[in-house]
Amino acid sequence: MTRTILVCCGTGCRANGSMDVSLALTAAVAAAAADANVCCVTETGCSGLCELGPLVRIMPDDIMYYRVRPFDAHEIIQKTVLAGEPIERLLFKDSSGNHVLHQADNPFYGHQKKIALRNVGIIDSRSIDEYIAHGGYSALARALEMTSDEIIREVEESGIRGRGGAGFPTGRKWRSAAVLESSPKYVICNGDEGDPGAFMDGSIMDGDPHSVLEGMMIGALAIGAEEGFLYIRDEYIQAVKSMKKAIRAAEKRGLLGESILGTNRKLYFSVVRGGGAFVCGESTALMSSIEGNVGEPRAKYIHSVEKGLWGCPTVINNVETWTNIPFIINAGGKKFAEIGTEGSTGTKVFALVGKVKYTGLVEVPMGITLRKLIFEIGGGIPNNRKFKAVQTGGPSGGCIPASLLDIPVDFDTLKEYGTMMGSGGMIVMDDHSCMVEFARYYVNFLCGESCGKCTPCREGLRHMQSILTNICSGYGREGDIELLEMIGSTMIDCSLCALGSSAPNPVLTTIRYFRDEYEAHIREHRCPAGVCKALTAFSVNHATCKGCMACNAVCPTRAIVRLNGGFPIITKSCDGCGSCRDVCRFNAIEAVKGGRV
Amino acid sequence: MIQITIDGIPCTCKKGEKLLAVARRNNIFIPTLCHHDGLPGMGSCRLCVVEVTESGRTKVVVSCLYPVRGEIEVVTNSERILAHRKMILALLRKRAPKSDVIAHMCEAFGAPDLPVASFDGGKCILCGLCVRACDLIGAGSVATRTLLKKLAGQGCAYPVAGAGVIAMVNRGTTKSVSTPYDEPSEICIGCGGCANVCPTGEITVTETDDGRTIWGKEFKFAFCKECGELLGTDKEVRYAAQRGGRDPDFLCPACRQKRSADAMADAFGRR
Repeated sequence: MTRTILVCCGTGCRANGSMDVSLALTAAVAAAAADANVCCVTETGCSGLCELGPLVRIMPDDIMYYRVRPFDAHEIIQKTVLAGEPIERLLFKDSSGNHVLHQADNPFYGHQKKIALRNVGIIDSRSIDEYIAHGGYSALARALEMTSDEIIREVEESGIRGRGGAGFPTGRKWRSAAVLESSPKYVICNGDEGDPGAFMDGSIMDGDPHSVLEGMMIGALAIGAEEGFLYIRDEYIQAVKSMKKAIRAAEKRGLLGESILGTNRKLYFSVVRGGGAFVCGESTALMSSIEGNVGEPRAKYIHSVEKGLWGCPTVINNVETWTNIPFIINAGGKKFAEIGTEGSTGTKVFALVGKVKYTGLVEVPMGITLRKLIFEIGGGIPNNRKFKAVQTGGPSGGCIPASLLDIPVDFDTLKEYGTMMGSGGMIVMDDHSCMVEFARYYVNFLCGESCGKCTPCREGLRHMQSILTNICSGYGREGDIELLEMIGSTMIDCSLCALGSSAPNPVLTTIRYFRDEYEAHIREHRCPAGVCKALTAFSVNHATCKGCMACNAVCPTRAIVRLNGGFPIITKSCDGCGSCRDVCRFNAIEAVKGGRV
Repeated sequence: MIQITIDGIPCTCKKGEKLLAVARRNNIFIPTLCHHDGLPGMGSCRLCVVEVTESGRTKVVVSCLYPVRGEIEVVTNSERILAHRKMILALLRKRAPKSDVIAHMCEAFGAPDLPVASFDGGKCILCGLCVRACDLIGAGSVATRTLLKKLAGQGCAYPVAGAGVIAMVNRGTTKSVSTPYDEPSEICIGCGGCANVCPTGEITVTETDDGRTIWGKEFKFAFCKECGELLGTDKEVRYAAQRGGRDPDFLCPACRQKRSADAMADAFGRR
């Protein structure tokens, strides 16, 4: 039997040494070749479960190995590939301690439904042949036989909404561009994913670049564009390389260029590298950046569908939206609309990160509850801590408290609760997270990333930063919360672009759901979570302390000492970092009021 | 022609006309800082926000950029709008604590004094008017640069390098207006257009009898060689002449007219 060994070479696994694993496996295959079945090693894009990487999957047996090291290679080839026996120590262990052999039986993967990620982690992203072998470019061939109206009707029927954040119906966007008679028209793929902790688009571009291209080609056919741009942030070195390579391969096969698949339609794509500005993910700033100007948004009273890149009709969609298009054309809009909820159809890719057991890339049907996403797929909070909040939608998204864990994840519900879908970052926080500090962190991030063009965003953020820094360092004043709310409301209504109008979200939602924490900071000079250094001291509870001195080992300032052979005490040189509390397995270290203020 | 109402007053306007222009024509006051009739709108100060109700949905827009495209109802002074204007002015006061204009406006609009430390700034509110003025009328404009390049091709020694004289530098809260690398610009002609449009008087121009200093660069004045009237900076006169495709004659308009009249008179032998 021919076996394929899939080695995940997504960013997370690469950092864990998957390239070495791949090399070792290739060497082991070569060494065993004399009596081996035909067997090949394929380097794929991100398989999802980054926490337990490097991941190795053996097909067609569907045996999945986690945390594989190069020295496991020989055993994998000898035992699994040649003899068909699984290696127990490399398998996933579920909550009851059973070994899980197949990927689908792992709860992390079991609840997922993959459309955008259908090929990511399964095919060799560098090979156009593998993409075609997995049904790639069949949607393009089909679209070439459809009229523009038919394509758009299919997309409209699917009900797909833009995956980049705002959730604008894609079909409607295409329709308004298609009816315009002016030319040229452009299609743009927005791959300027800048949210901290998000890596959905990067993983798709790296792991399945041709599906993005195919989606864009179909979009270009539908609206009548002959040129397209892929704006990719320059930090995504892999994605830039992979997309460029994919474009070249598609050109060679006659899928792009003078004539698409022998028809009289022509289409050219090129990659534009972003210069590292978060604001360039905003559509008008992105276009300005492609034009060679400073990446600053402009007022969108005239939509970019009418006047976009160089004043021409432009359809700009997110990477994930484009990737969904081939599926919609192949399976039909109706089939897509059956997945998810009524207002938000299909699936959504999330980057599940933060204080969650299994961090990684997941794709789930819209309407899944946060509880299912975090506790069943993500495996809950590590070290049996308490869940506190989850932030959705990147730095300008809001956070959702534990009491709302059962709300469905879709565009409208999240908006109703003060946050947003965004591009799909999902940061989980446990009870060792201070919500005021959390708001301060994101406002700080946005202060540097705002373009600074309009007053509410530039000045509002600076004021919020100053007020929040004061609160975190114990200089909060009565009225600060109200002032933050007032500034936030002006920013929402008056900012020039979506960055400014969503920037107060982290602040406003934390005030909405965790007002008591703000009040504790301001009135009692106390940080309930024990994070704000100026307000926190740590003490050892001698009743539960076992005297293991694990805390002493991690303390960066050597503030934990043992006097006369007794239990540890914390001295004045404590910096308040909280590493001791995190490392203590007996919860013997407690945060108490104190610190510098 | 489209019929709209602004604060209940019926107004007529052309399709695509900006809301601010319509309001001003009908004597309806909307405060602005970054707007200038002669320059393209940028919508950076956000002081001119108004509420627009279109088919039952109300939104806040900036009137200087909002094109009228259908029948809308506009409210320029609702509670919500006034609160936003107050907040914007209050925020700007902290950005430009030395500006009298902003201080006066804060007083007039009743903007609160925010309990936050002032920005270590002067009078600049980063509205971007100066940059737009320099881009369009000064040496920095694309059209001008193209022209200058053409002239350079014809052996003209005028400097053609680089972008506009001034531009917005940095981003976010550290944004400012400056010349490249904060150094005296090579292509600045000292026309003072930027200082002229600045709503808060941030751009300092120091003038003596002989010349003017702006953006850290000194310019010599040029005077009419007939009557001695001040013409502007030397570079400005040369620049204007070059844009007109002639050699600088260093004459004031009156003397130039007189000279050509004299020449005409000579030609006809009347003198």
